[in-house]
Amino acid sequence: MFTSIDDVIEKFAAERYICDRRIATVVYLASELQKPILVEGPAGVGKTELAKVTARALGHDLIRLQCYEGLDEAKALYEWEYAKQLLYTQILKDKIGEVIGAAPTLAEAVDRIANEDDVFFSDRFLLPRPLLQAVSSAEPSVLLIDEIDKADSEFEAFLLEVLSDFQVSVPELGTLRARHVPIVVLTSNNAREMSDALKRRCLHLYIDFPTADRELEIVRLKVPDVRDELAEQVVAVVQKIRDADLKKTPSISETLDWAKALTLLNVGHLDDALVDETLSTILKYEGDLRKGQEELRAHLAKRKAEAAATSSPGDDASKDMLH
Amino acid sequence: MDDKIVEFISLLRSNGLRTSLSEDLDAFAAVSRMGLGDRTQLRDTLRATLVKSTLDIATFDELFDLYFGGLADAMKQVETASRQALQVDDGDYQDLIDSLAEILEQMDVDLSDLAQHLLQDDTGQLERRLREAAREADLGNIERSFQEGRYGHSVAQILGIGGLAQELERLKEQLGDLDPDLQERLAKLIDQRLQDLTNMIKRMVRLELQKRDQTLRENQRERSLEDKSFYYLSEEEVRQMKEAVAKLAQRLKNVVAIRRRKGKRGKFDVKATLRRNLQYGGVPFRIQFDRRIKDRPQVMVLCDVSDSVRNVSRFMLQFVYSLQDLYARVRSFIFVSDIGEVTQMFEEFEIQEALDQSLSGGVINIYAHSDFGRAFRTFHRDHLEAVNKRTTVIVLGDARNNYNAAHEWVLRDVKLRAKQVIWLNPENRLTWGFGDSEMDRYMPHCDIVEECRNLKQLYAVVDRMVH
Repeated sequence: MFTSIDDVIEKFAAERYICDRRIATVVYLASELQKPILVEGPAGVGKTELAKVTARALGHDLIRLQCYEGLDEAKALYEWEYAKQLLYTQILKDKIGEVIGAAPTLAEAVDRIANEDDVFFSDRFLLPRPLLQAVSSAEPSVLLIDEIDKADSEFEAFLLEVLSDFQVSVPELGTLRARHVPIVVLTSNNAREMSDALKRRCLHLYIDFPTADRELEIVRLKVPDVRDELAEQVVAVVQKIRDADLKKTPSISETLDWAKALTLLNVGHLDDALVDETLSTILKYEGDLRKGQEELRAHLAKRKAEAAATSSPGDDASKDMLH
Repeated sequence: MDDKIVEFISLLRSNGLRTSLSEDLDAFAAVSRMGLGDRTQLRDTLRATLVKSTLDIATFDELFDLYFGGLADAMKQVETASRQALQVDDGDYQDLIDSLAEILEQMDVDLSDLAQHLLQDDTGQLERRLREAAREADLGNIERSFQEGRYGHSVAQILGIGGLAQELERLKEQLGDLDPDLQERLAKLIDQRLQDLTNMIKRMVRLELQKRDQTLRENQRERSLEDKSFYYLSEEEVRQMKEAVAKLAQRLKNVVAIRRRKGKRGKFDVKATLRRNLQYGGVPFRIQFDRRIKDRPQVMVLCDVSDSVRNVSRFMLQFVYSLQDLYARVRSFIFVSDIGEVTQMFEEFEIQEALDQSLSGGVINIYAHSDFGRAFRTFHRDHLEAVNKRTTVIVLGDARNNYNAAHEWVLRDVKLRAKQVIWLNPENRLTWGFGDSEMDRYMPHCDIVEECRNLKQLYAVVDRMVH
């Protein structure tokens, strides 16, 4: 467990995840109060990563449940292995014969079989799915319920029991209570509003795109070979582009991809042509690409004009105008 | 401190943030663990436990600053301003205060507590006095800006500003024996401090008002896009709405696809399976499902695109066309007083382009006055043949007919042939049938009549249509 907020920040940093105090506070609170965290925010800001890093930092197992339309209990909680049960019945036919062999009446034979009922509804034939795994795990674990907004609202309602009491009811076996309360992280891309009941049970965390400084820090950490000048320019361009009205805003992972690609190309700093050629790493739609290029060109022209006004004309500074 | 948090929570509630009792308890548990040392930390803690919607974060932050930092920050600002007015820097100011304290001690002047706090720049004590006075004056009840003066006055009275002013005046006279230069500076300081106190009261009252005045924030607080009426969308919101419609349509598509997949396979049929597997000694060798075959519905959409309802029509068309592969066939018509088919356009162009073109006046005159009757009669003449028992006919319009003939018999004929007739009205149900609204005449000839004013309602209606 974490001992303080600073401890969270430190342990996360050791796992190469940079987080601000706000995020650390929520993670610390979640582990202290044993409450699930509902993480919201645009795609690609490290919501899923937060759960993974928490698991690594604490040395816990990560159990992941990916949500989608039509996800149901059988896939999230547990399933009886009917095929195996059938198979066992067939194989054990003789044994059953032995058990009921000496029974004088039909009623007694039924009773004897009934006594053996439990055999077929035991752990042996139970196929645990992520939620049951998390609850029944002998070791403490981190449970990641990814993209909960994609699941149906019925599923959300079903999650409530698990999230508030950390227990699961299996009709044939009774109620299973968690031995270790797992740290639960739910992520949502805001495809729909979560129900109030679910929100009430969670701590809420909104992760937005990082500030320029923080993003620079992340780029330097994750792409250690990147040159300082390039890193600054890449971050400046991405931050600028995020302001534009785009279909898909570039995320942190795209910034990193771009920085990696440029580093591989052995580029020291960005210039017009290079931006045009490689902008497709961060903008994934044709329309966005056009808009992004226009935006940058306008931005460049403005910077150039400003620079021309302050410095002497003919200065060959145009290449460094991107930041 | 618990009281302060309780009060803060009730302040959040009165500003439209819904927090439940269990969340309040979480907040207390969290705060007691985290301690109160650090204001940012307190803010993060409260925010994680109390605010569960991204929309509410801005409101929360604003209220937090007002509530927890408000008065102290305001007092600091007042003092900075007063230093500027006295034209001294921080060091000089402190010297001046110290020398005044020394002189007062030498002269053995007996001052009231308030005067001492004020002249010795004891911000903590002053804040306490101000808060006490505020409580006594029931400042928490302030609601409107015109009450500012009245509450300010009563706080000043409770603090005893009048007496304080006289006391300070006497004090200045007593300082008369000093070096004239120093005396002048001290007199100025004393005047300024009195002025500061009045300013602080004013600021405090203003702060309290900002906390309570919900009308200030209600307008800022963006309601969820889904609940927003189509009538009052700003340009930016229309853009967002387009995306939201696309997203919702995609979602609906997935849901329906799953429903259909399950539907096609049918449910596991226990009886049939047992019967069928009798030949294998009861071992379920062949699984039997009950099969259901479902038609994909045909849809005809008639959209009123007159000025008043164009937004709704736009989203309706977008919705229906995003879902095109769920239907066997979609035909759409737009009308104001003429009626024109735009199906072709949606086949040729990308959806937004097609929408723009069909709503820009190329197909029909969209600046005419609405005439449902005439449009319906033309539909009856030209397109009635196309309606068959698998067709769902959707009319979208406010039924405001400018007192023209309603010709509701067209709908009756359509209903006889069609699977169902649905009328979606973007007006509030309460206004139907008033003025030139012909809703009452059309209603009996429709199978389903729904109010359709926001995205949520639109979604519900479309969801029903694909069943």
